[in-house]
Amino acid sequence: MNDTIEVVDLHTGTLQLTPEEHAMLRGDKGPAVQEAIRFQIEVGSFFGARRFVPITHAHVMGDIEVMGDGGLQHLRSMGDQHARCVVPTSSNAQCMHFHDDARLRQDVDEGAKEREILARYKTMRIAPTDSCIPYQQVYQPKLGEHVAWGDTGTVIYANSVLGARTNFEAGKASFAAALTGRTPAYGFHLDEARAGSLLVDLRAPMRDPADWGALGKLVGHPHQDYFAVPVFDGLGRMPSSDELKHLGASLASYGSMAMFHMVGVTPEAKTREAAFQGRAPRETMVITGADIQAVYDSYRYVEGGANIVVFSGPQLSLFEMQDLAERFEGRRVAPGMAAVVTTNHMVHSDAKRLGYVDTLEKAGVTILQGVCFYILQRLSQIREENGWTNLISNSGKLVNTITAHRFNTVLRRTDDCVDIACTGTLA
Amino acid sequence: MTTIHVKRAWGKPVRAQALVMREGFSPRYDLDRWNGVISRIGHSAEGESIRDRVLIIPTSKGGVAGGWAFFDLLNKGIAPKALVFGKLNPVMVQGAVLAGLPIMEGWDQDLLALVRTGDEVHLDPSARTLRFTPNPP
Repeated sequence: MNDTIEVVDLHTGTLQLTPEEHAMLRGDKGPAVQEAIRFQIEVGSFFGARRFVPITHAHVMGDIEVMGDGGLQHLRSMGDQHARCVVPTSSNAQCMHFHDDARLRQDVDEGAKEREILARYKTMRIAPTDSCIPYQQVYQPKLGEHVAWGDTGTVIYANSVLGARTNFEAGKASFAAALTGRTPAYGFHLDEARAGSLLVDLRAPMRDPADWGALGKLVGHPHQDYFAVPVFDGLGRMPSSDELKHLGASLASYGSMAMFHMVGVTPEAKTREAAFQGRAPRETMVITGADIQAVYDSYRYVEGGANIVVFSGPQLSLFEMQDLAERFEGRRVAPGMAAVVTTNHMVHSDAKRLGYVDTLEKAGVTILQGVCFYILQRLSQIREENGWTNLISNSGKLVNTITAHRFNTVLRRTDDCVDIACTGTLA
Repeated sequence: MTTIHVKRAWGKPVRAQALVMREGFSPRYDLDRWNGVISRIGHSAEGESIRDRVLIIPTSKGGVAGGWAFFDLLNKGIAPKALVFGKLNPVMVQGAVLAGLPIMEGWDQDLLALVRTGDEVHLDPSARTLRFTPNPP
């Protein structure tokens, strides 16, 4: 008779578990699931979560640049424990472009690790979509549907535009949710967090993706609060998916925000009252065209060195690829300039079939697949090797997120970005 | 000795020197994750190392990178000792739990006005307190 007593940590924190969840915690579904639910209990208890909610989809974020060797070892450990996702799961943009452009050289050893990560994803039943816009191609959760998404731009789009429910599920969190098929019910899974808190009276003519990024900066930067929910009213037309993508990505970047409403546009904001759940706004902002222009005017170029124009952050949709191809057709990136586009494999495949890729490449534009520019492995060294000083982009998010790599960033409208790329003249 | 009470906390007690930031922080936007030094041009703590320090941060910025980044910093031997936020997002909690870093949120006095970089602070997450000896006025 075995007289040893197995010590099992059955700490449940603030959560009340179902019998199935208790079984996971006891280890009945294997060590990977047990470790995952333990992690979820710790995080959920921090926020006072009372229960788990089942999810239908997970979107994981992990690449060798951000995970490092420690993260890779953790992933290997999950694999050794036979971790398998129990809900459909996709992956975010990665850090290695596997492109032969000599200006964008990445480490061979790190590339091998990145390939191992992607291979391990497949073993775990994660589809390596390498996409930070899964809501445009991969999976579109419905109103009220709970998911666990691990990219801020995807989270804010899901909560706001689709009316689905997710928190930022970073690093291990989205993997854990994929393995247990559930996530702790706190934050944006609950009705009360989804009420608007800040009214934005939008009186600006919004005519370019960069305008939406500038708007996100104006609202997000002075209100850095995950639980702030701006409510936009006054646009007077129906914005496109790409426009809302740029707004959300920028709000999430500058304000760390996970949700917004737009009256008459997003599903939980049929009226202003509905968006605020009947409460009064804590604050009202008015944003005019002059305010948007002031954002552009606030950027300064730095003398010296070469410069780069980047269309990325989030990855480009098929229609953004079409638009850029039309703008670059018959033109050529100026000597001494670089122009880079990033998108995912699904968009790239169709853009290639439709001729957009060839048009852009003929113009001298470099197209990187499966990555987003600011997360590229070895980016600081790439900047130094090319002598890139100013980075010009039409992405409000990108000009904010890339600054640890010491680029001088400048936000410009798409027309200006293309002109700067093709003339080499900073304007 | 001044005692600050916080709204939420996780982790084991820790005692270390503070690094006080005057603005939001993201390990991706603001930090050189290969040497542990704040690298964003113009950040209030630019040039400071986060290694072995208690980071006192008014707000979290961005981004999901923190979910892996703190664990990576730990593996590289350049992790902070703990994180103390005025307001945070779940990324910071998820990253801290994975890396085993104590984390706190929501102070009942203006911590940024009371504690200075270099002061020794003592965190007791189970009591939801942070203690330090205040500087002379």
